[in-house]
Parts: sequence; structure tokens; C-alpha cells
Amino acid sequence: MNPPTGSKTLDLQATISPNRFVGLWRMMAGFRLSYLGATLSLGIAATSKTATYLLLRYFVDNVLTPRQFGIVPWIALGFLGLAIFEGVFTFLSGRLAALTAEGVTRRLRNYLFDHIQRLSFAYHAETPTGELIQRATSDVDAIRRFFADQAINVGRVILLFVINMAALIDLNLQLALLSIVVVPFIVVMSTIFFKKISKAYEAYQEQEATLSTTLQENLTGVRVVKAFARQDYERDKFERDNWEKYQRGKRLLKIHSLFWPVSDTLCGLQLVVGYFAGALMAINGTISVGTYLAYVGLIIWIIFPMRNLGRLIVQTSTGLVSYFRVTEVIKQNREILDQGGESPIKELRGEVIFTDVSFAYEAGTPVLKNVSFSCSPGQVVALLGATGSGKTSLVNLLPRFHDYTNGSITLDGIELRDLPRHYLRQQIGIVEQEPFLFSRTIRENITYGVEREVSDAEVEAVARSADIHDVILSFPEKYGTLVGEKGVTLSGGQKQRIAIARTLLKNPRLLILDDSTSSVDTETEGVIREALERLMRGRTTFIIAHRIQSIMTADQILVFEKGEIVQRGTHSQLSRQEGIYKQIFDIQTRIDLELEKELKVAG
Amino acid sequence: MPDNYEFEEEEFKTQVTGRTVNRILLLLKPHWTWVAGFLSMIIIVSIIDAYFTYLSKMIIDNGIIAKDRQVLVQLITRYGVLIVFQAACVLAFIYLVGILGERIRYDLRQRMFNHLQDLSLSYYSRTPVGWIMSRVTSDSERVSELMTWGMLDITWATVNVSTASIFMLIINWRLALIVFAVLPVLIWVAYQFRKRILVQYRMVRKMNSKITGAYNENITGVRVVKALCREDANLKEFDVLTGDMYRAAFRAAWLSALFLPTVQIISAFALGAVLWYGGLQVQVGWMTIGGIQAFVSYITFMMWPIQDMARVYADLQNAVASAERIFSLVDAVPEVSDRPGAIDPGTIQGDIVFDHVGFYYEPGKPVLADFTLSVRHGETIALVGPTGGGKTTIVNLLCRFYEPTSGTIHIGGRSYTNLSTHAIQSRIGIVLQTPHLFSGTIHENIRYGRLNATPKDIEDAAQIAGAHEFILNFERGYDQEVGEGGNLLSVGQKQLISLARAVLAKPEIFIMDEATSSVDTLTEALIQRGMEALMKGRTSFIIAHRLSTIKRADRIVVIDDGRIAEMGIHSELIRKKGHYYRLYTQQFRHEREIEFEPFQERLNA
Repeated sequence: MNPPTGSKTLDLQATISPNRFVGLWRMMAGFRLSYLGATLSLGIAATSKTATYLLLRYFVDNVLTPRQFGIVPWIALGFLGLAIFEGVFTFLSGRLAALTAEGVTRRLRNYLFDHIQRLSFAYHAETPTGELIQRATSDVDAIRRFFADQAINVGRVILLFVINMAALIDLNLQLALLSIVVVPFIVVMSTIFFKKISKAYEAYQEQEATLSTTLQENLTGVRVVKAFARQDYERDKFERDNWEKYQRGKRLLKIHSLFWPVSDTLCGLQLVVGYFAGALMAINGTISVGTYLAYVGLIIWIIFPMRNLGRLIVQTSTGLVSYFRVTEVIKQNREILDQGGESPIKELRGEVIFTDVSFAYEAGTPVLKNVSFSCSPGQVVALLGATGSGKTSLVNLLPRFHDYTNGSITLDGIELRDLPRHYLRQQIGIVEQEPFLFSRTIRENITYGVEREVSDAEVEAVARSADIHDVILSFPEKYGTLVGEKGVTLSGGQKQRIAIARTLLKNPRLLILDDSTSSVDTETEGVIREALERLMRGRTTFIIAHRIQSIMTADQILVFEKGEIVQRGTHSQLSRQEGIYKQIFDIQTRIDLELEKELKVAG
Repeated sequence: MPDNYEFEEEEFKTQVTGRTVNRILLLLKPHWTWVAGFLSMIIIVSIIDAYFTYLSKMIIDNGIIAKDRQVLVQLITRYGVLIVFQAACVLAFIYLVGILGERIRYDLRQRMFNHLQDLSLSYYSRTPVGWIMSRVTSDSERVSELMTWGMLDITWATVNVSTASIFMLIINWRLALIVFAVLPVLIWVAYQFRKRILVQYRMVRKMNSKITGAYNENITGVRVVKALCREDANLKEFDVLTGDMYRAAFRAAWLSALFLPTVQIISAFALGAVLWYGGLQVQVGWMTIGGIQAFVSYITFMMWPIQDMARVYADLQNAVASAERIFSLVDAVPEVSDRPGAIDPGTIQGDIVFDHVGFYYEPGKPVLADFTLSVRHGETIALVGPTGGGKTTIVNLLCRFYEPTSGTIHIGGRSYTNLSTHAIQSRIGIVLQTPHLFSGTIHENIRYGRLNATPKDIEDAAQIAGAHEFILNFERGYDQEVGEGGNLLSVGQKQLISLARAVLAKPEIFIMDEATSSVDTLTEALIQRGMEALMKGRTSFIIAHRLSTIKRADRIVVIDDGRIAEMGIHSELIRKKGHYYRLYTQQFRHEREIEFEPFQERLNA
């Protein structure tokens, strides 16, 4: 069976409403008929059940009492028919409700996934991953339960009440009114109870989390525990947390063990009072024996479902809270990827000009101040400076991860702001110092982001070029090897080379390199440098540099301090100028001298 | 670790074996009075449930139809009293079964945890933490659930069905036989449904974790996603996941929706037959109106016990599988344990000798081969060499996290297997490459080294380790919370605290697995100072990368490929122009570059 896809494109941002029920109703677009159908079927099923008891009344009063045994078989068939009718509609209602709940949830999941990946960096930077995931998973599930269970069951309880009550009133008004005296008490009591229990349950869950943390820290720190021979101490600590959980579980139980018997007694005594009154009426002849029988059957379907109403009310309120939490994410505006439509540039050359560019994440604290420079196609620009000096912020402006606040940046003469983000990002390749790889196969990681079919030969060619082909072949599944937890753990240098291969395949005109080899041991350093050089050939390249060797050949070196360019030029120019650059460079030569001395002393 | 695969949640192939069930029942033994208590309560509740229907029948036949008010009052009174009595029993069983459940959970968790403390490091290296965690958390939950609520439900259901059957037999045995004919069909159908629904739910859970994984990866990798314009392709892939999820969840939901109606319709056949046949029997006086009412009620509410039986039976396999995994954990034998007669000599000072020690983690892949080294009391040994050469293994053996597979290690002239592990491990101070802290305050973390230490001792230890100053910089000083696993502190700070912890322990042997790149120069100098203070007069083993540390050692041992490649003091080894020379020159450049790097990130700035 194919899930409904027709209304998948519903823009959920437009459905948000300050009234949560309105919002949830709008979210149901495309499924409302099914949901209505579910409610209707529920009503039909409930009516059939009621009819069963009315048929029983007819059977007793018009068949058994007057001893008209001829139609007994028809009555029996009638019971069977009603049961089938009820069964079919109960099933239908369940199925339609599931269709709605699962369909709405699927659409919501897809929408959220897409929405999150299109939210701006600014949003991602300030929102913890766990928080987002929780909203996208457990809060979405709470909304699913709202549709699948709570809303439909509130409907069920109300329908059961209304339909059976109508039948009761029809049987005998006095008896009917006498039979529901306890209902308001039950509803109030169960609401209070479920509120209490959900609080106690939260406390219980909290302790569960604490216990898990204690356990996890013990397991991951097993070497420390053993090295200090702290097994007994750990046992005591765990036992304390474990005991606290036991205590909280006990508290939870005490509430349960009070509520259920008390409400059982209330409901039970209400039944008995009704039975007694009904029986007296039957003896007096106010009602028939059949009516009494029907009454005894119907009343159960009024009283006991009411007890569930409290649970449903409390759970619905948590569902509404989750709805609110999810809409908080949906409310955020997406980053527009294809604003401006087609790019005006036919063949990108890669000329970049910064004129008086300033940028601030928060107003008032500029990260870049009046940065100006230009670079012609194919040039290599190296950015040097301390952490927080603005290098990374500057390169983040190029793919428009952030938009500059003042000044102008042009690419081939066109203002960056007028170029669609999608176009820009296709033209720019980024190799980070600790590249993020996905838990997929190596091949999928290399071809990640390439929108066309790629042949094996092509993948191997870029892998060779990135000097990682041989490493990949040494893995058990070669290019099909999974990266990460369930597959191979790659070293920093290997990850970087896979990122290089990925970028080579993408073949961008502009390149951003974060050239830190700190995570890489000395032997692979040379290999990576060569691979990077192959990658840079013919592309305009921005290197975030941490050390001098990698930028000596740059066409232009920009030295940053506190968001400003303090020195610029080529290596040969800068190494003759007094300044930071020269200081760093001199250290290099000093190191060699020192080593020589060291060895001489030892030798 | 690729052999994680075997630890993926096993499918429930497990057959319910008698042995496991026996062991599960044994868990109840210490609490048998509680079990007896809740079982008798639920039996009473269940019998009363069935009796209520019979009472209703009597109200109709002996009260209403007989028009006997006196009997009616009597019956209604009985009904009312039974309701209150039953409620009291309900209170008792909820309390008993619930608390017993919590108690069993508590016992199981504690038993596993206690046993885990005894297990050797080898167990931990082949068992993922996540696997152990789910044994302690969810498996214990499942087993206790089965033994308490599961047992309660099945008892209630069985007693209810049996009592109802007896009452039906009493009312009219012919009609009762009709109902009995349908009963097995109902149970079978219910079980089949339950089984299929479970399969779908398992699928839903699986898809759920995949979806969470997809979110996680896409959010943490959002930079790459955006840079490579992968949004559309990702959505397409995600849509496949949600599609599978949709199908499984929808199937589970409509199977559940089909379940009850099916059971109801089947019982409706019984009901129809009973009414037909029973109606005709009223004709000949074999059946009363109250009797018919009773049968209608018994049949209508028969589906609840049957549903319960099916559910518990389906859950049973699940829980038995959980129990088996729990038992496998509890049965795991520690590979390193005290020999009979192992002693604690009170001190383990003295020379340490590795005598032709060999070791492997997996047979056929030796990590150390014929390793011989004798260390004088008070000597400082620097272990250097490439990653994977065996340095950490030597430390692991010395701490007796593992024992040699061949050869012996002597401490103070005794083979160390003659000593108790506690004797060795309580006198070793260790600082690991990746420092591990526990949630709690800084104070508590340092105190871990010596539990009876005074606040003054702790401050002194922090002074020696060079941690005192940065600790005071915290708003709450020593009472600063370090966060889960210490994640509120920088790596350098964690390292200093773990050093202070080792200082406080006043160890007789000191081991340091040196951390390198993660610490800035300033912190490094602090660590250096603290280490020197610790090493004074103690036998020390340092896995070192930093030249300053290495040069200060009494002896440098170059380990390569599980063997000693070179050994001696700094100047000797430099003259040899071998392994050490190469290592030294390379490291020298590296360190100097970092040291002079004006842009080097300062973690402690």
C-alpha cells in the first residue's frame, strides 16, 4: 500500500495558529475526511452496541416472556448481525484514525527534516542538537498519539456516553439520571489523579536518567574504577541511586493503589444503586424485565469509560505542549536557496573582491571590520591569524552561510547577495580540518553532494588523486566499507583525504581549505599536502592557515587581528617586513638551529 | 570495533527453555510471601469478577422475576459488600505486585552492576557499553514486568475464565459446552494477532531509531549538507525511511484495530448460538432469563481475559530472551581474579620484573612477545614508540587489568598473581590519556583518589597537581559541578584534576599515559610540574611523547611491534642514531613549532 503523497507539499508554516486546536485541525489538511469517517464509524459502532442491548430487551419482553419462540432464530441472527456490524465499524474507525495519524505524522516528519536542514546557520549555531532531535522525534510522536489515540478516544468516550445515555433515557428517565450521579466525581477525580501520577512518573523517569548516567560513567570509566580499586565505592553509589529509583517507584505505586480501588468502589456502588432501583422498578412493574436487562448492560458502558477520560485529558494536554514545541521550530524562517532564480553568470571565472566588508553575529560586536582585498581567478589567498581573529567568519561569507552586514563582496563582478545560495554553494568546495563524514559507505561519502550518476572509475580516479585509494582497498569491503561506529574508524588524515576526494569530484571553481594538520601525524602530513596541491590547481583558493609552510607559495597572504587585516602581501614581501608574519617565520629557522645544538649536546 | 555486530539486538529466536524459566522463577524465591500474597489477592478479585455476573443472574431470577423484595435486598447487599471487599483486594494486589516489581528491578540492576565491577577489562573491550546499558535498564525492566504484572494478568485471566466456566456449567451445561467449543479458537486467533502485531512494533522501533539517527547526522553535519547542496537528495532518502515507518506503524495500528472486532465477532457466533439454543430451552424451562443475561455477559467480557493471555504469552518469549541476556552477563567469569590464598602484603614497593612476558588479546595475534624488563624501585621508565606498538598493553598488564598469557610479572620478588588485585590496584596511581571524570563536584572527583581525605588534603593535592588556581577561578571553587563525564571542563582542566586525584591517592607506583595534542603549553607546564612531584621516590612508568618528559626519565624504553627496540638513557640513544633518534628529531620540530606558534589556541587563556 502506498502512503498518501498528494498533500505532502503542504506548507506547515502556514498552518500554525495561536489556538492549538485550530493549528492541529489545519495540520490535518487532506486527512480530515478520513478522520471524520473514523469518528462517524465510531458512532455507528457504539450505536450497534447499544442496539444489542435493546435487542436483548426485545428478546426478553417480546419473545421469552410471552413465549413466542418462533422468532428465536431471527433474534439470534440479529445479535450476530449487530456484532458483525459493530466489529466492521470498530475496525474501520481504527484504520481510518491510524491512516490519519500516521499520514499526518509522516508529512510532519518529512517537513521537519527538510525544514531543519534549510534553517540558517545562525539558528543551528544557537540550538543544541539534542534539543532539535527531541522536538523532531518525541514531540512529533506525542502529536501522533494525539491523533491516533487521544483525540479519537475522547470522541469515543463522549459518543458512548451520549448514545447510551439517550438509550437509557428512552428506557426510563428517572433511572437514567440516578445512574450518572457519580460521573462528575469520577471525571474530576481521575483528572486529578492522572495529573498527580504524571508528575510522579516524571520524577521516576528523572531518577532513571540519573541512574543511567551513573551506570554509563562507571562503564566508560572502568579503567579508573579499577585503577583506584574503587569497586565498593561504585557499588555504594549505584545502590544509592538505585534505591532512590525504587523509592520513587514506590511513591508512584502508592498513588495507583489508592486511585484504582477508590474509583472501583465509587463506580461499583453507583452500579449497585442503579441495579437496586432498577430491580425495584421491575418488581413494581414500572419497567419490564427486558428493560432492566438492557439497563444492566448499558450502564457499564457509561460508567467505566468515564474513568479513562481523566487520563485522556491529561495526555491531551501533554500533546498540546508538544505541538507548541514543534511549531517553535516550524516558525523559524528558512534560508532561501534559489532566490534570484537563475544565476546571471554563465562561466564562472572565480574573481572575488571584498570592499569594506563588515560582519557581526550580534549587532554591536563586529567580527570583521572594513575588510577589503581582491583576488583574481585561480589565485591562492592565505588567511593567517589567531583563533577568533575573523578568518573563519570571512570564508563563511562566501557560500553565504552568513550574510555580511556592510560593504560589498562581488564574484565575477556580481554582488554576492544577488546570487542564489544554491548556485554559490555548488561553485564552492570546502575541506575542513576535521571533516564530517556520514555513516554510509566510503563510496557514498565521496559521491555525497554530486547530483549525477558517478562511475566507479571516476570515484577511483579522485580517490587516487587524493591519495586515499590504496587505504580504501585495504578495508574489508573496499569502497563499500561503512564509515563510523558500525564500520571502520578513520584517522583524521584519512577523513581529510576522503573530503579532498569528495571535493575533487564536485569540481568547484572556488575552494576553502582549513589547513590544520594538528590532528595528523607527521608522516601523513606530506601526503595530504600533495593531495591538497592537486586539488588547488586552477581554482581560486582561500586557505585558513595555521602554519607557515602551507602558505609560502600563496599569491596573497592576509594577516588578521581582531577582525582587521593588519598585514598583506606575498611570502617574500612579508618575510622582509617587520611584523607578526616575520616573527612567525623566524621561529622556523630558529628551530633548526636549536635541534642541531640539542643533538650535539646529547651526542 | 567491527565485531559490535554480534551485539546488535538479537531477534527473538529464543525458544522458551525450561532452564531459563526455572532461573527466572528462582529470582522470585526470596520474595515468595509477596508472590503468594498478590496471587491470592488476584485470585479473589478474579473469582469475585465472575461471581458478580452470577449475582446479577440471581437478582433477575430470584429477585425480580420471583418478585421477592427480601431476597433482592439481600442480594444487593451482598453485591455492595463484595464491591468494597474486592476494592480492598485490588488495593492489596496493586501495592504488592507493584512494589515487588520495583524490588525485582532493583535487585536485578544491583546484581548486574555488582558483577560488572568484578569483570575484567577484557570483558569491557569486547562488549560495547550500549549493550551492557540495555541489559541493566530495559532487560531488567522486561523480566520484572513479566514476573509481576505478567504473572498477575495471566492468573487473573485463567481464574476468570475457569470460574466463569464453572458458573456457566452450573447455569446450563449444554450452553456452556457451546462456549467451550469457541474458546480455543479465540485463544488461537488472539495469539496469532498478538504475534503479528509484535513483529510490526519491532519494525516501528527499528525505524524509529533509524529516523533519529538520520536527524542526528543531518543536524550535526548540516554544514556539509549545505556546502554540498544535498538538501533535496537527503529529503528523498529520508522520505524512504518515513515511508517504511509509515507502513509498519500503519500496519501495527490496523492489525490492532482488527484484533478486538475479530475476537468479538467470533464470540458473537457463540452468543448467537447460545441465544438460539438457550431461547428454545426457556421454552422447556431449562433456562431462565437471568441465565441468558449471565451468558450474554460472560461471552461479551470473555475477550478481556483472552486478550490478556495472548499478550502475556507473546511477551513471554521476549522476556525470556531478556532474561537469557541478563544471565549471560551475570554468568560471565572475570578473567582476572584473585587466586586462592592471594595476599595483601601491605606494600608493593620493590623491584618490578617483566620476565619473558607474552600477551595477546586474540589468539594468533601477539601484542607482546618475550618481553623482559626489570625496573628498580624508584626508577622512572619512559615508554616511547609508535602507536599500537604495545606501550599501553604493558601498562595494562602492570595494573593487572590483564594477566600475561605467558611469562610472569614479579613485584617485590613475588609473582604478582600471588597478590590480591586489590593489593596492587589500590597502590597504583594512574593518569589516563583521556581523563575520565564522574558527574559531581571537583572536590568529589579529586576525593576519588582517597575517600577519607580531608578538604585540606584535597586542596594540597590540587596544589601539587597545579589545579588549585584554575579551580579557584570557578564561581563555586571546589564545589563546581564538572558535568556528565566532566564535559563542562576543558580537556586540560580534566587532565589536571585527574592528576590531583592520583596525587591524593599517594600511590606506590605511578603510571601516566601522557596526553599530547589536547593540552596547551601552559597547562602542559603545569602537568609537568605535578608529574615530577609525583614521580619523586616512586617507581613510575610514563608513556611519553613530550621530549622534556622523556629526557628526564631514568631509562627510555623504545617499544616497537611488541618488543624492546632500544633501551637506555637519552644521550646513548641519540648516539645510536636509530629509532629513538628519528623519533626525537621529528618530535622536536613538532613541539617547537607548536610552542612558538603565536596563534596557538589557549584552552586556559
